[in-house]
Amino acid sequence: MKKRMLSVVLMAALCVSMTACGSSSEAPAETEAAGGDAAGGETEAAGGEQAAEGEQSGDPIRVCVVYTGNLGDKSYNDSCNMGAEKAVEDFGIELKSLEGTTAEEWEANLVAACEEGYDLIIGASSNIADYITEHGPNYPDIKFAVIDTTVDLPNVESISFAQNEGSFLAGAAAALFTQKTDIKNVNEEKIIGWVGGMDIPVLHDFYTGYEQGAKYIDPDIQILQAFAGSWTDPLKGKELTLAQYEQGADIVMNVASGTGVGILEAAKEADKYAIGVDLNQDGDQPGHVLTSMVKRVDNACYLVIESVVNGTFEGGSTKYLTLAEGGVSLTDFSVMKEALGDQFPQDIVDTCNELAEKIKSGEIVVENYEGFGPQA
Amino acid sequence: MNAILENFDKIFNVSLVYATFRSATPIIFAALCAAITQQANILNIGTEGIMLVGAFTAVTVSYFSGSWFLGIVAAMIAGAIISMIMAVGHIRYNSEICAIGMGINMLALAITKFLVKAIFNSTGSFSSPDIKAIPRVNLAFLDSIPVLGELFNDWCVTEWFAIILIIFLQFLFYKTVWGLRLRAVGQFPEAAKTAGIRVNSVKYQAMLISGLIGGLAGAHLSLGYSTQFIENMTNNRGFMGVAAMYFGGANPVFTALGCLLFGFSDSIGARLQAYGIPSQFVLMMPYIVTVAVLSISMVAKLSAGRKRESALHSGN
Repeated sequence: MKKRMLSVVLMAALCVSMTACGSSSEAPAETEAAGGDAAGGETEAAGGEQAAEGEQSGDPIRVCVVYTGNLGDKSYNDSCNMGAEKAVEDFGIELKSLEGTTAEEWEANLVAACEEGYDLIIGASSNIADYITEHGPNYPDIKFAVIDTTVDLPNVESISFAQNEGSFLAGAAAALFTQKTDIKNVNEEKIIGWVGGMDIPVLHDFYTGYEQGAKYIDPDIQILQAFAGSWTDPLKGKELTLAQYEQGADIVMNVASGTGVGILEAAKEADKYAIGVDLNQDGDQPGHVLTSMVKRVDNACYLVIESVVNGTFEGGSTKYLTLAEGGVSLTDFSVMKEALGDQFPQDIVDTCNELAEKIKSGEIVVENYEGFGPQA
Repeated sequence: MNAILENFDKIFNVSLVYATFRSATPIIFAALCAAITQQANILNIGTEGIMLVGAFTAVTVSYFSGSWFLGIVAAMIAGAIISMIMAVGHIRYNSEICAIGMGINMLALAITKFLVKAIFNSTGSFSSPDIKAIPRVNLAFLDSIPVLGELFNDWCVTEWFAIILIIFLQFLFYKTVWGLRLRAVGQFPEAAKTAGIRVNSVKYQAMLISGLIGGLAGAHLSLGYSTQFIENMTNNRGFMGVAAMYFGGANPVFTALGCLLFGFSDSIGARLQAYGIPSQFVLMMPYIVTVAVLSISMVAKLSAGRKRESALHSGN
């Protein structure tokens, strides 16, 4: 009898824990995200006013974003979520966000979203592309969008970025920075670092640009490269970054979503430097982040939702957001300027601006990793 | 390959020693958490969950109280509460410990995610300058000594404590009456009962201490190794701890050696990646080491067991 009661109690506990999972993504929308840095206050919100141009009059357009990782990474996913939240405010769409850390979860989330019959399902990163390719044809009435890669299906719109161009500038900035030996803890050796999340093609496109940019400044520079194998393991990111500092790097570029939180923390702990990614991360560890390679994932997400609201969604089309279009850019270095004061090497900013103009004008052509670029 | 030889001094330098210990410490705490219950023949598969709850509690209490010490204490209490839930389920109601342990791991993942949202209104992670980290020990006289300074300075307080804990548990298991009782309960509960040992009481005590250590492991992860809480920040370190415990046969010193092996493979991997070794291979290394180490220790255990058996038979 006692055993039976216990099993009932345990079942109840399990149910509670499950609702705990559920309610975390359905919390009410009143509370403001504190300080602005904790992005993504609410994940499900139905706007009060219905956008006039909506395809179906009456019900709001239902959008589901499937993430390959968690919100709260202060990087890629949070950026995407910001775009989606903005669309909620502007168009009154209904938004659902599904997070997951493993490949099984990503696929399950995507299929669940398809079954739910959303109007638009956004695959937030290239990790989800294979599953959209597999399941997309089974749901021809659902509009899909994929960010950061291309899926060639009639009901999928693809948006990708010229991350190679932004990374070129980041690489150039890093290569210039490692020469400034008068700045605290910058050593003689010309070594810079690069730590990525998962070893996927998009990240190689980042790296290709980073390497080209660094070598454009200094052909003899040595670049250390490492992958954490996860988007959600900041401790691993920290360990890899500390290892690169110990091997002589002064500055390490973060391309690792949630894992990157650890990369920036390592910069602070070792009193060295890092370059942020996706969002403006300059203020995350002030004085240790030289600049950030901002990738406007928020714009991509917002634009695709807008296109569905306005009825201009084009399945099978590909958008490629470059430096010239503001899809990628470096930050203005202002946080670092403040931290270093008179010591701040203004020539890095000037050179980067110059290089940016040259890329925009086509004078410098930044190479792509295989399968990326405007035609891909 | 050439790149590795050229940069040999950058891969195998003094900092590798501390890097090894640094990445091994969380696993050492986890392994000790599993070792003490293993001595009482309870497989604490819930180590991962206990750690995660500890990590969350430590960050929360440190943030609100402004004291890293209170954070650690609270994390240990939280760990103890979780382990007591497991203990009641397993010892009093005789349910399968692996099932409870896995349940605890899933519960920990869900409940910490929920509480991060509920308490901090943040999704997935929480970090703030107001979280007080565990301080580092700076020995001024070591600063001037080149190699020793690099090796032993600026260790986290809990990293030093890990070494003390290994020695203390080794003493506790093998040199005290309580340790003898603990091992008796684990190896032959009927005999222990006959000898007047209250078997269940000893098991409860082992689970309680295990929970305290597991909570400390979590606190070290979120306040020492790093200063933040992230969803699933344990990332299987608890399970690696359990594997190391098997490797060391629940003997604290051997267990710690197993953890150092993991830490070493991790740190060496981090350095090798920079020179063109494929990341997929490097990231596989800790797990290859896990499988290899477990196989070797199991083979050794089996052959030792067979020897003991044959000795018994020849005695007849």
